[in-house]
Amino acid sequence: MLENFIAGSGALFGDPTTIAIFVFGVVGGMLFGAIPGVSMLTLAAILLPFTAELTAAQGVMLFAVIYCTGTYGGAITAILFNIPGAPENAPTAFDGYPMTQQGKSGKAVGAAVLCSAIGGVASALIMMAATEPLAKWAIRNIGPPEIFALVFFGLAVASSVGARTIWKGWMSVLLGLLIATIGQDPVGGINRYNFGYSDLAAGIAFVPAILGFFAVSEIFVQAEKKAGGKYTAPKVSMSFPTIVELWLHKVAVLRSILVGFFCGILPGIGATLAAFMGYGEAVRWSKNKEEFGKGKLEGVISSETANNAATGAAMIPLLALGLPGGALTAMMVAVFQMHDLEPGPLVFYNSPDLIWIVFAAMFYANLSILFIGLIETKTILNLLKIPFQFLAPLILLLATIGAYISRGLVLDVMVMFLAGIIGFLLRRTGFSIPGIVLGLILGKIGEQNFAQGMQMVHYDIGTYFSRPICALLIAAGSLTLIVGIYKAFAPASKTS
Amino acid sequence: MKKFFGTGAIAAAVLALSTTGYGFECAVKEGTMAKPGGFPERALTMIVPYGPAGGSGQVAGAMAEAVTGLTSVAINRDHKPGGSGTVGMTAYMAAPADGYNVLEHIDDASSAHALDSSRPNPSSDLIPLVISQVTFSQIYIRTNEDRFNDWPSFVKWVKAQNGKATIANVSKEGSMERVTMKFITEASGMTIQQISFDKGAPRYGALLGGQVDALFEQPGDVRKFLDAGEFKPILTIFDERPSVFADVPTHREVGMKFDPLLRFRGFYVHKDAPADRVKWLQWAFQRGYCQDSYQAFNESKFMTVIDSYRDTAGARELITRSVAQYRDVYKAMGLDVK
Repeated sequence: MLENFIAGSGALFGDPTTIAIFVFGVVGGMLFGAIPGVSMLTLAAILLPFTAELTAAQGVMLFAVIYCTGTYGGAITAILFNIPGAPENAPTAFDGYPMTQQGKSGKAVGAAVLCSAIGGVASALIMMAATEPLAKWAIRNIGPPEIFALVFFGLAVASSVGARTIWKGWMSVLLGLLIATIGQDPVGGINRYNFGYSDLAAGIAFVPAILGFFAVSEIFVQAEKKAGGKYTAPKVSMSFPTIVELWLHKVAVLRSILVGFFCGILPGIGATLAAFMGYGEAVRWSKNKEEFGKGKLEGVISSETANNAATGAAMIPLLALGLPGGALTAMMVAVFQMHDLEPGPLVFYNSPDLIWIVFAAMFYANLSILFIGLIETKTILNLLKIPFQFLAPLILLLATIGAYISRGLVLDVMVMFLAGIIGFLLRRTGFSIPGIVLGLILGKIGEQNFAQGMQMVHYDIGTYFSRPICALLIAAGSLTLIVGIYKAFAPASKTS
Repeated sequence: MKKFFGTGAIAAAVLALSTTGYGFECAVKEGTMAKPGGFPERALTMIVPYGPAGGSGQVAGAMAEAVTGLTSVAINRDHKPGGSGTVGMTAYMAAPADGYNVLEHIDDASSAHALDSSRPNPSSDLIPLVISQVTFSQIYIRTNEDRFNDWPSFVKWVKAQNGKATIANVSKEGSMERVTMKFITEASGMTIQQISFDKGAPRYGALLGGQVDALFEQPGDVRKFLDAGEFKPILTIFDERPSVFADVPTHREVGMKFDPLLRFRGFYVHKDAPADRVKWLQWAFQRGYCQDSYQAFNESKFMTVIDSYRDTAGARELITRSVAQYRDVYKAMGLDVK
């Protein structure tokens, strides 16, 4: 492995053009990841035709690098302005933005930079060591019933995040699940809740919903404070997390690497589920669950470690089996095909040079997050000094563009503003925005896999428990639910 | 047969494809055409009702590249995925009918119209510029499968499972895939549970990983698995054996009598677009089909195995026949055909 890695690194840095493409990918991914709406997918779609002019190794490498740095890029705006650059950065905003409001933006951004790099590098190393066996294990042992069980396991803690009471937490999650049912059902393609409006047949897209619930509702909240003379601008903090603080979270980092990697390796799942599951596991194992959603450093660490840990993992089914894990890895298939190649088992035999250039590039791209992130962070934090009356219209403008550009539908802009209004009203009454978003995103993935799983087990739900991984996850999720309900009824919780 | 898609088979496939390529003759003789009234004087917009990475996204990209290469007119692709193509179709019908907007769509538009005639009819509400991909479906199993190895043994095994056997398929009821599977199960007297996957990767992963027993798909979409020797076809749903799959029986050969439904992808313009502009677009897209880059793309997707080309008249005939077929099936299924 080391020999191949050195050879890949040599090929990557031995050619000025390849170096330039690598740097372009690193910077471009970060920029496009950070701007809401114009995600790394936008950049990838723009670049796709141009990759025909590159060598196959350069083209695939460019997309792999964009994937790594783009997944990180969205964390910055999530933390500073409550605008997740992409759905996989949404859990970062749960605690990152409250930290900014508390004058701890430097700590949050610093942790995001460091943990993105750690998650990504760890993932790249595992990817290099065991791509083929891991891919084969995953597709043999993880099917729709297991993915549904994983989502159930994740949802079981969702009520703990950000709500005033556990019941409001559950109401928030259920609202998210209800929103997730809008659009065609995943089995028969039957329209639900579209009210004859064809654009709604495609369902509620994640990006406008997240922008509305987070960014727009926050603008309303701050505008209300401004109008009432209670607004205070967040303090700009340049203090990064200390070594001791980070060391205290070593278990959270390790857990998120494992969770993120596991989610990333599943075909068709990718970094979004990884981030939400990483965050959910941090909540589950914490002794102070009530602190999540209110500015807990561990929330940022868990989310950002997990989503970057999914990047290397998502390359495993793509390269070993030809199965893309998400939209960007699906575009990589097109890059392969432009060069008369197909990702899959044969690529390891036919194009080992290409594979190791890509592996090396992903490793260095994750390292670049650390170096570039630390250099740029202090500059970026100064954006917080922009007065609210200038910042708010700018955020609304960016959010509106971001909501529209992803599918080119006016519906998405309407959804964003509606989500903003609903989010504003629900936050005033103690409901949880993170809970709604968790329900929405996990609900879509969960419903689809539940339906597929039920077909596989011939509608005999008991069969779910004959599959060991599935049974374990459902049992653990159920236990979490029971404990949560018990605590809600316990006298100490009632009084608090 | 066990290693049908080993090295020898790949070589045979390449040879067959190459032969097809040599035999290709462009139906449009005119290499250039004057722009009517200067049209188009700016870039065209191509609405694609599916994502950029799927089959439609790729064919849209390949055709846009070919037409731009031929005419130097840029084409911006606007992907509007969702609702099994209805979101993109609705957006297209609302776009100005000035010839600057073209649509990519697949046979789902025909089946949607068959079920609900208020949906646009691709052969009359739109003008087909060209259909550039026509393909058939097959049923695949894993090459290392040891419970069955061909169609007769597969049917025998499925029947012995009493409805517990599974096949991965697309999710939308009434789609070409679902309707064809209905024909197959009725004709062969077997019951098989169809597992709904709306995306290709999980669908193929389910067969690779043994989560399902078989897969319904078109050959171009699983070519990499065929080339890698992971999957092998056991039934071709087409009237004759394509030379590349000479060892695989057709549905007619195993006693099924239904007319095969085909997967087709094509390009359209609104019926109210100015006639001279439509004529230019027809030339550009039909000639674009002949471009080397597009032909290479189609070959890479197994889309030259059978005749993939239909001009406007041929496309209308294919669409009209498909709509009638779907309508008959939907009525037989008891669906509410409007």
